[in-house]
Amino acid sequence: MAKVVLESLNKVFTSKIGKDVKAVNNFNLILDDGEILALLGSSGCGKTTTLRMIAGFETASSGQIKIGERLVNDLKPAERNVAMAFEGYALYPPLTVKDNIAFSLMREKISKEKVDSKVMEVAELLEITDILDRYPPSISGGQQQRVSLARALVRDSDALLLDEPMSQLEPQLRAVLRARVKDYIQHNKKTVIFVTHDQTEAVALADKIAVMENGDLKQLASPYEISAKPSNVFVASFIGEPPMNILKAKINTVEEKLKFEILNDENEKTFSIKFNKDNIKKENLAKLANDQLITLGIRPHKIFFNEKESNFDGKASSSSYHWLGDQVHIGIEINGSSIIGVADRDFEPSSDVKLNFPAESINIFDLETEEVILNGL
Amino acid sequence: MRFNIWGVLKILAYIAIIMFFLFPIAWIFNMSFMTNDEILRKVPVLFYEPTLKNYIGLWKGEIAIEGFATMYVYFKQNLINSAILSVGSVSVTLLLGVPAAYAFARYKFKGGEDIAFTLLSFRFAPALLIILPLNLYFSQIGLYDSYFALIWVYQLITLPLLLWIVRGYFEDISPDIEYAYRLDGHSWFQSFWRISIPLAKPGIAAASLLCFIYAWNNFVFALILGSSQIQPVTVGALAFITASAIPYGLIACGIVVSVLPTLILALFIQKYLVQGLSLGAIKG
Amino acid sequence: MSYLKLENLSKSFKDDKVISNLNAKIDKGEFFVIFGPSGSGKTVLLRLLSGIMLLDNGEIEMDNQVINEFQPEERDISMAFQNFALYPHMKAYDNIASPLRANNKNISDEEIDQKVKEVASLLKIEHVLNQFPKELSNGQKQRTSLARSLISKPSVVLLDDPLRNVDAKIRFEMRLELPKVLKEFNTTVIYVTQDFREAMALGDRIAVLYDGKFNDINSPKSIYQNPSSLTTAKLFGDPTINNFNATIKKQNEFVEVDIKGEQIKLKRKTNVQDGECVVGIRPEDIILSNEPLENSIQVEFRTKTPLNLRIVFLVRLKNGLELLCSTTEEESRLIDENKKMYISFLEEKSHFFDKETKRNLE
Repeated sequence: MAKVVLESLNKVFTSKIGKDVKAVNNFNLILDDGEILALLGSSGCGKTTTLRMIAGFETASSGQIKIGERLVNDLKPAERNVAMAFEGYALYPPLTVKDNIAFSLMREKISKEKVDSKVMEVAELLEITDILDRYPPSISGGQQQRVSLARALVRDSDALLLDEPMSQLEPQLRAVLRARVKDYIQHNKKTVIFVTHDQTEAVALADKIAVMENGDLKQLASPYEISAKPSNVFVASFIGEPPMNILKAKINTVEEKLKFEILNDENEKTFSIKFNKDNIKKENLAKLANDQLITLGIRPHKIFFNEKESNFDGKASSSSYHWLGDQVHIGIEINGSSIIGVADRDFEPSSDVKLNFPAESINIFDLETEEVILNGL
Repeated sequence: MRFNIWGVLKILAYIAIIMFFLFPIAWIFNMSFMTNDEILRKVPVLFYEPTLKNYIGLWKGEIAIEGFATMYVYFKQNLINSAILSVGSVSVTLLLGVPAAYAFARYKFKGGEDIAFTLLSFRFAPALLIILPLNLYFSQIGLYDSYFALIWVYQLITLPLLLWIVRGYFEDISPDIEYAYRLDGHSWFQSFWRISIPLAKPGIAAASLLCFIYAWNNFVFALILGSSQIQPVTVGALAFITASAIPYGLIACGIVVSVLPTLILALFIQKYLVQGLSLGAIKG
Repeated sequence: MSYLKLENLSKSFKDDKVISNLNAKIDKGEFFVIFGPSGSGKTVLLRLLSGIMLLDNGEIEMDNQVINEFQPEERDISMAFQNFALYPHMKAYDNIASPLRANNKNISDEEIDQKVKEVASLLKIEHVLNQFPKELSNGQKQRTSLARSLISKPSVVLLDDPLRNVDAKIRFEMRLELPKVLKEFNTTVIYVTQDFREAMALGDRIAVLYDGKFNDINSPKSIYQNPSSLTTAKLFGDPTINNFNATIKKQNEFVEVDIKGEQIKLKRKTNVQDGECVVGIRPEDIILSNEPLENSIQVEFRTKTPLNLRIVFLVRLKNGLELLCSTTEEESRLIDENKKMYISFLEEKSHFFDKETKRNLE
């Protein structure tokens, strides 16, 4: 497996009528050997185009693609030594599932026993041992997707490229197959790049996530960092289910305590969150200006319930209560502003809800540029 | 430089193809404005003195041919016959065919596919096979020489055509849209009339045009099953060829006039043909 | 007094018994969720309820009247389709106004205009009323479809997985918005979904559809904590409930669970007979630690992956059995995967299912 480097990668789709489409803008990436990268974004953001450029199905408008030490821009897909699992599966209809998976292995000089054992290994991993003798048209979409994935996993290549590899999987299988696939990839030290629009999948599988929107790379970081230290509002609200609470606020630094006055759509004050200035790092305090309007973000599961003391003024009431088995989602109204909180499954809200917004979980973003000012006070 | 050569070659190819197809038509168009003398000249001429004699002759019903006597022409009646037969056939076909296409598209009933195929198979058989028996039967039941009979026979050509085209368009409409209209409170017929038919408009328009063309151009049925009273232009053109003279200019004129209605109809229907079908009402 | 009664409904296609002996009683104003995996017959059931498809057997009773013979346009039931089913050749305004313009209603144009604008405002789509469906985003199409189904204030509204084809972010907003909007119309809601979280968040009761009938009809909590069978248990919860064959033996206040030689003790009582069965335990009900706790068993660590706001550990018993355990982020930081690992099951949270029928033995 090899290192993948993308330098100033650009893709522009020129059009004779109308405007050119900038599908991928100045994309920079260094992926080490054995790392797993997720290209995450909603449809049309450029993630699939980027993957196809790495595979060689799309030529880059400018920029460099290096796999291992080789510059591969001018190489055909077959020459790049990458394995790919396509979104449309692309299985060979006249071959059985077993032969589909073994197909690429048969080109390499491996003994038949070795091929069989490798195929069985991935088949057991993805729970498709019972359909090895069937033909692609006779199996379900979810099964076809697993075969396509098996076929890509079993190959020895410099890099493994997966396009929405688990989108059609039966929901009951997803968690366990994800865990097994991750185990296999890590065990075999493969370098993997996969495309997904499902942030749950990205967070579960990847070492690094590249969040994309409109061709731009919004943030490239580990799942933990993207979740805890989002660099802009887009990334902050894209990752996380339920999504981060995004509120407009005005900073008040002149009073004894640091206050964030939360504003509603008409810019009226609804409630304020207060913090002791002694508990806040000096360099962080310096980044906040009095009367400054900012975007404040706090993740639902970072809101603490059942605290004896709340650190906001205003009356909170619960407007909705969703019990979801391993957690509860609570909709909270405070003087007209709405937020969502996540609590333990045993939590039951009373009429007067006590909550605490911990300082380390408050994210501050610039109101106009939407770039981060502080991740945690 | 490379770019230039290909571009020029492309343009030359276009011109060649266009000339190949349009040349006969352009020639006939020219001929309709020429007198027989000019047409029959040994060396064809590009420039000539256009004359409207042919057109006037067609309209008036008689034309004087140089060197011969006056020729009487019943072309106007032929035109009217063509119109009656074609419009009549297409109307009947629409009335029967559109609901039938809907039935085939939406309802799976026993023998449905067999019936549909049988109807299509009518087009496989050459007209000549059935023309003589049909002539006998029609004469016996007194249907010889009637518009009604010919329109009925024309259904053999037009109905299968419309069925197979329009059926496809109905199949492309998601049934959920029709259900939604029913659940809004409208009856089945209202759903058919206000949802299914408007959404299948491109198909119905295209099919109608094709049926019209086939009906208009039909020769054999009209020739055998009717007398000169009801003969359309296809048969009527035969009358131009007499023992004494062949008025090419007149024939060319007749051709131009015959083609005109179909051409106008096609231009008129074009705007319905261009519309896309599901128009984004269904996801994706 | 139930408003909508479904009695012994059956529908087959050739040999395929899609719906067979389906029963339910739905109260007026209830938010009744029908939950089932794909292919379970949800769409067929909705077609039967709305009248588009005919029943083979059984009765649908609404407000004490059997409505089997009623045409779709005669039933006071409306439907919002999963793929929106908007009329492409009409503007959003006319799509929404369509139910009000049906023959049997005599409503003036002014009144129609007022009602359309009211519903559009409630669903936040007033600004797109003059556009055609192809110009709308999926979220806007969904709202237009909803507006159309609600405008005539039907007694029952059927929502066929309305949030399926909508972006993840908007889905979450609408999950909170929908119940509020629907309350305004005071209508009985039958909501179909494949997403168990959506079912649990929205439903007063959930009817779990598979094998052609409703296997559980209960509150979300009851279904989650007391599923009628392993099949139902597997449908709720992510990651899916762990399940494995084992032999149980009651021993005083314990139940000994023997999994192919490995033994784990559960401190709980049960009426289930000793013998072979399928044991089910949810990932969040397994306690993970680096120290051997009471009644714990040693396991080998395989991987850990984050899942939403929790961490999922894949562990393996000595006999090869794999189990998923989930903890909160905070709890996971206390666990060192390089040290030995032990698991134990939370006391009352284990389930016992019959080996053949998969039914809950308790």
